[in-house]
Amino acid sequence: MNIHFKTALDYIRRSPFQALAASFVLTLTFFVATLVSVLVYSSSKLITYFETRPQVIAFLKDAATDTDIANLQHSLEDNPKIQNVKYVSKEEALSIYKKATSDNPLLGQLVSPSIFPASLEFSVTDLSYAQTAIDSVKSESIVDSVGFTAALGGESSLNDVVARLRTITTYVKVGGAIFVGLLAISSLVVLFTIISMRMVGRKEEVEILNLIGATQNFIRSPIIIEAFIYTAFGVLIGWAISFIAVLYLAPTVVSYFGEIPILPGSALGIFELFGIIFVGELIIGLVLALSGSLLAISRVKKVR
Amino acid sequence: MSADETSTIHFKAVTKKFGSLVALDNISFDVKKGEFVFITGPSGAGKTTILKIILGELIPDMGEVTVDGFNVKTLKSKDIPYFRQKIGTVFQDFKVLPERTVYENVAVALAVIGLPEKDWSERVTHVLKLAGLNRQANHFPSQLSGGELQRVSLARALAVNPRILLADEPTGNLDWETSDNLMQLFEKINKEGKTIIMATHNLDIVKKYNKRTINIVGGKIK
Repeated sequence: MNIHFKTALDYIRRSPFQALAASFVLTLTFFVATLVSVLVYSSSKLITYFETRPQVIAFLKDAATDTDIANLQHSLEDNPKIQNVKYVSKEEALSIYKKATSDNPLLGQLVSPSIFPASLEFSVTDLSYAQTAIDSVKSESIVDSVGFTAALGGESSLNDVVARLRTITTYVKVGGAIFVGLLAISSLVVLFTIISMRMVGRKEEVEILNLIGATQNFIRSPIIIEAFIYTAFGVLIGWAISFIAVLYLAPTVVSYFGEIPILPGSALGIFELFGIIFVGELIIGLVLALSGSLLAISRVKKVR
Repeated sequence: MSADETSTIHFKAVTKKFGSLVALDNISFDVKKGEFVFITGPSGAGKTTILKIILGELIPDMGEVTVDGFNVKTLKSKDIPYFRQKIGTVFQDFKVLPERTVYENVAVALAVIGLPEKDWSERVTHVLKLAGLNRQANHFPSQLSGGELQRVSLARALAVNPRILLADEPTGNLDWETSDNLMQLFEKINKEGKTIIMATHNLDIVKKYNKRTINIVGGKIK
């Protein structure tokens, strides 16, 4: 075993409670960080869902010819901010109506296709563009009226929906970042304190190593490795607990949100999401370990 | 930096002060390659200051010090570890790592110079045998006597095959018989070609081993 790694393990064995304190705080930090990451992912999926589902329906006048409809459809499809353009004929509209009222067949029998207007349905890639798209479509001569389906709570306009979703997402991102940031600072302080205590405890050893010609890197290595061990442990355990918790809660959450894909639909997708989070947390953990240990080392008086 | 061919220690008009206290006052001397030199004098005379300057732990206020071709005064901080790796040091208070076994205490010196781990065993076994510690290899310092601890310190110094061996009062904490055994070991090492500078106030040792002596009193050579 590498001498620095062995020395780091010896330090941990000698002061198990300090090691436990550091590991516990780091585990908590990365547990919360993982959950916040999943929350940010889910909220961004939520906003994407509302932004990309068919929201705008342009009801067409009865006089609209197939050519006019095709021209409008093509012009909408050519717009990069508009997607999922779909033509719904009168017959299809009746079929949708019948399906929607299948629990009361009488309602379906009382209507004929002629009372349902044909329509062009589409969604926008960015919800903030919806109002512009609506205004543009309204000005078309073959369009009778324009409706939109997106709604959240009691909002009455697309602008309100956009504002509400963006506020929720911002709260999740900013709130999560602040919370995780505070935990990360706490972890850094705990790491720094423990490593500083370790340096004080190693004063004699450092002096001896200095006198026999050890380089600063040689002296620092076990300390940095020790900090890496704490953060790696914290990342692994914190991430694993979150992963298990999300896997456990996933069926309930997915069922609650229905068609809204707030979590990846496949097991592979979930592993991919958590894999990315794990790698990200490992990198953050390495930065934490390096900064905490180097800060502590720099406070120890340098001797010639 | 370049190593000097003659591998000597050269002190020229060296003065070292600690505040108003003059520890070394304009001293000059040379130590030739392979020489065994005693630095004697009463406590506080400046013996340890000389050794600390040779080791690059202290910088002289005035004068010039050259060790194995290196000018101690102009050594950069980053070069000091590599400079010290060429010098073995035996301390009066042993300075062994208390949580490490005898074997590990010696091996750490090899790790410091960057020797591959696969080569440690042979080197450590050799120096422990030379120091008469092969049976105590797995003992911890707390299980050893003062004489054995001093030999651990010596074995660690020898492990890196230094050109120069510094010893600061190595017999200071030992009885006569143990001191004599240790001195015989130093003499044997000197005969193998190592330059040894030993600070001591044990005049019985100095008389018995009859080496060149630099006597320091009040920071001056007498």
